[in-house]
Amino acid sequence: MQPWLRFAIAPAMVCTATSAHAVVYLSVEQAQQAIFPGARMTAAPVKLTPQQRSAIQKTSGVNVRSNDIKAWKVEGGGWFIADEVVGKHEFISFAIGITSGGAVKSIEIMEYRETYGGEVRNAPWRAQFVGKTSQSKLKLDEDIKNISGATLSARHIADGVKRLLVTYELALR
Amino acid sequence: MSSPCGESQVVRRARPHLGTIVEITASGLEEPALVSAVGAAFSAVSKVQSLMSYHDPLSELSRLNQGGHSEPVRVSAWTFSVLRAAQKLAAESDGAFDVTIAPRLVSWGYLPRVPTLGRGELLATWRDVVLGPGRFVQFRRPLHIDLGGIAKGFAVDCAVEILRRRGVPTGLVNAGGDLRAFGPRDWPVQIRHPRDPGAAGHAFALRDAAVATSATYFSRKRWRKCWVCPLVDGATRLPCEDQLSVSVHAPTALLADALTKIVLARRESAAAILQRYKASALLLDREGHCRFVAANA
Repeated sequence: MQPWLRFAIAPAMVCTATSAHAVVYLSVEQAQQAIFPGARMTAAPVKLTPQQRSAIQKTSGVNVRSNDIKAWKVEGGGWFIADEVVGKHEFISFAIGITSGGAVKSIEIMEYRETYGGEVRNAPWRAQFVGKTSQSKLKLDEDIKNISGATLSARHIADGVKRLLVTYELALR
Repeated sequence: MSSPCGESQVVRRARPHLGTIVEITASGLEEPALVSAVGAAFSAVSKVQSLMSYHDPLSELSRLNQGGHSEPVRVSAWTFSVLRAAQKLAAESDGAFDVTIAPRLVSWGYLPRVPTLGRGELLATWRDVVLGPGRFVQFRRPLHIDLGGIAKGFAVDCAVEILRRRGVPTGLVNAGGDLRAFGPRDWPVQIRHPRDPGAAGHAFALRDAAVATSATYFSRKRWRKCWVCPLVDGATRLPCEDQLSVSVHAPTALLADALTKIVLARRESAAAILQRYKASALLLDREGHCRFVAANA
């Protein structure tokens, strides 16, 4: 048995100098339903004041990149916040559900982008993905790429979650 | 999003767990059934994390590390089965796989410093861990266990088990590169190139089996004028030096995960243990050249 037989799509992938890997898991609406199934929510965007921004930075120890908080208030208590984190090679948008008691209900990754040889911090590169949703149905063979290899740490997401919990305490609650 | 009757759906979700991103893909049932099965599979992964995290002072593993030397500590069935598998692999690999190397990783800064950790813990080996009847675990000397080299694979197996029990016919669980596929289809899998981790060093079709990869390209660093990485030969206590990527193909993700560490330490000499577990290995060097161990055609 030879379990390592090359897959037919391989050669084209091997030769690229710049490589990117991107997956869209959920749109914002789908993430809302995934975290708070059946719940109604109303958009409650918040613009942080400079004072709030520096207080959040100080308390969480995490840099705040944007003053705009994409928050939704959940009927019956709780918040939904959509956010993004950018690493050296990765761009990840995610959503967090916070219960009325201020605890993390659930976290869902919405989009994951990874690039090498390119620049993930570059705004135009990221812009090409804006507005993409997972409405288009996944097709197993064409759309799904699976990677085995040493992992990028999920530290950026952990930092992002810490920052949002402090944001909730200082600006939403 | 409703679908025409009978059409097979695919649900793919990702959540941060186990210090990485865990991705679960399920297909072959109606969407609501898939969504609920995927949710249950994530809960299993989350439970493994709460039991076996070295970083979480409240985990069952931390409780064992704190008390295991003074008296036998009873652990859950899941933690006990991972420890049993780990001890068996340690014995079979002459200590190349060893869950007691945590203090070494602490001193290199890969694991957090714990107040109860003393200098004596550096001398402990897997032989100082005693698994008794009734799921009681005791240490012969003060030591710290880290299940980082095996628990991620176990979590993937648990998630697959839940999906199958919920009637999902095909699916794939990927915990940051430790992945397992089930059901009657081929899944394209790419292995990162050790020098250019964004590119594929090798691509193949995975079917009803697991594959895991261990490599140092993201984690290598300097420590007191030496290169170190979190992958350590348990027998020599030395870090794996070169930029090599090892992937293991095995029946379960637990085995694939743990066996990568043994192959990193033993290379071609790991052929016998791989064969015993119906596993095989693919080694990729810096230039992207492939070498296979125990992968007879």
